[in-house]
Amino acid sequence: MKYVAKAFKFSTLAASIAFWILFLLPTMSSAAIDTIAVDVGISVFKTMPIGIVPFTEPKENIEWIEEKPHQILTRDANLSGRFEVVASDKFNLALFSRNHVKHYVTGKVSKLEGNQLRVECFLYIAQTKDMLLGETYVIPQQELRSAMHKFFDLVIKRLWGERGVASTKLAYVSKMDGVKQVVISDYDGYHRSQITRDSSISMMPVWMKGNKGLFYVNFKTNRPRLYLKKFGGSEQPLFPHLDQTYSPAVNPVTGELLFSSTVDGKTDLYIGNPTTGKAKKFAYLKSNQTSPAWSPYATEVLFTSDRGGGPQIFVMGKDGSDMRRVTFMGRYNERASWSPEGDRIAYTSMDNGKMNIYTCALDGSDIVQLTSNAGNNEHPTWSPDGKLIAFSSNRSGTYQIYIMRKDGSNVTRITNSGENTSPTWSFFYDD
Amino acid sequence: MKNLLKIAVVASVAGIVLSACSSPKPPKTQPTHKKAPVAAEAQQQTAAAPAAEQPVVNADSLAAEQARQEAERLEAERARLEALINQIMSEDVYFDFDRSELTEKAKELLAQVAELLMKETRFSITIEGHTDARGTEDYNFTLGAKRAMKVKEFLGAYGIDGKRMESVSYGKEAPKAEGESEEAYSQNRRANFRVNVRD
Repeated sequence: MKYVAKAFKFSTLAASIAFWILFLLPTMSSAAIDTIAVDVGISVFKTMPIGIVPFTEPKENIEWIEEKPHQILTRDANLSGRFEVVASDKFNLALFSRNHVKHYVTGKVSKLEGNQLRVECFLYIAQTKDMLLGETYVIPQQELRSAMHKFFDLVIKRLWGERGVASTKLAYVSKMDGVKQVVISDYDGYHRSQITRDSSISMMPVWMKGNKGLFYVNFKTNRPRLYLKKFGGSEQPLFPHLDQTYSPAVNPVTGELLFSSTVDGKTDLYIGNPTTGKAKKFAYLKSNQTSPAWSPYATEVLFTSDRGGGPQIFVMGKDGSDMRRVTFMGRYNERASWSPEGDRIAYTSMDNGKMNIYTCALDGSDIVQLTSNAGNNEHPTWSPDGKLIAFSSNRSGTYQIYIMRKDGSNVTRITNSGENTSPTWSFFYDD
Repeated sequence: MKNLLKIAVVASVAGIVLSACSSPKPPKTQPTHKKAPVAAEAQQQTAAAPAAEQPVVNADSLAAEQARQEAERLEAERARLEALINQIMSEDVYFDFDRSELTEKAKELLAQVAELLMKETRFSITIEGHTDARGTEDYNFTLGAKRAMKVKEFLGAYGIDGKRMESVSYGKEAPKAEGESEEAYSQNRRANFRVNVRD
């Protein structure tokens, strides 16, 4: 600000420009360096500084099997895309003020009988030390992560007035002994568990409404076919009267399934009820259609059609009416996914044989490239709060799952070994 | 020489059969066993059993010989069919990137497959469509399906009954060659065959 004020004292325009270049540019570029890991484009995210202070522990040491409470909260804060974490060993008002930290979290851990922990978590106003939030969890240590995720979602609720995704999960495909299997994990990659155990390929997992189970494709009949597995239940084949079913998309309002079926080489969209097993053709079109995706309130669907030769993204009403093309740039735009806020879509585009993730407005305008120059980046899936996008990338040499902000910044890897692809984010968990 | 041997074998087999037929009916009642006490009946029966088997064994060996010849014939037929099946299964048809049109080379290959299928009417085939590793899983399923369908249509136009052909898409899930080279990609953009033989 000082430099700008000085600049206006000079009368000539040239001098003014010279000052802008000399003084303003350096400040702008240092601001750009401050933004973390922006891949492409500029960050449209407003982040809130938050202080995180380690929890006080009892004198008799606790043997931590995983991370400590403040470490789990720090990861949640970083992944959420909503916060700028200011870490401090203890409450430090000078540090917090300097970094515009208005709030900080900390807590207290005590040991109880039978390996139980009492974990008290607090959210304070930095200036006044007024408590905004206080929660106590009495849990075995194995449940510490889940408890901290719950607390962090309360912090988001309190500070943002919105629901956070710290307690949500991801389903994805993991190669085990050379065979693709469906697995789920917490959204941060922890607490992974295997869902399918077949000798044939399982793929394309999507969440049932209410997160009660998964739909996915399996090849045990030597043809791709949809199955449903409720958690704790057995696997059930779906729509066996239809040939080659895949590309499932769950209607977020009714729980019905929109999917592709290929009969005699022609691929069409079908809508089916997984409970009754009844399904009918969704739209009668000359082209092949695949990769359906619902709008947040299930009034419209996105899908891919090959009517122009290569794959392009289209949108139509839930009754199959009012079809219009969304993507026009490039020859290969596929697998669109509608943002929960409803205003944008994320999709994968192929250019020069490389896959990258883009978003655009629903009329196809305002295209933003989120990934570039980092291997293949595919299969974007929105977090239920619309702030984040999970995807798979082979930028490290193997395919792994990553999370980024919806503007492409803050890319964080959440899986480390094997080959992991095709993530789909769960719905919110409603207790 | 071989023929002579064969005749000899057949003659000897015939002889055995004849002698078996003409020999007295109750060979079980051998005098040596007649004295055996009632209590030893069980033993007698077991002892008699091998004797009773004598002519049956001869008949068996004839049947076995016939079975052997039949097996040989079947084996030869099986080997012939297997060679044909292997030939068909090795006839992979290749495609250009994101295309499902048949190339001239593909049509030549498919014409050979069609000729084989015309002759071997017991064969039915499953046509598998595949893509290379680029692109999404979803779109590659539809692309593989289109490729398999183009092959099916070509064979159909050649006169192969549609009931003998089934098509399926594996998308990019079953690559023939691993890796991210154009070499691997071109190997994987293919349609290939599984052969089923009707009895």
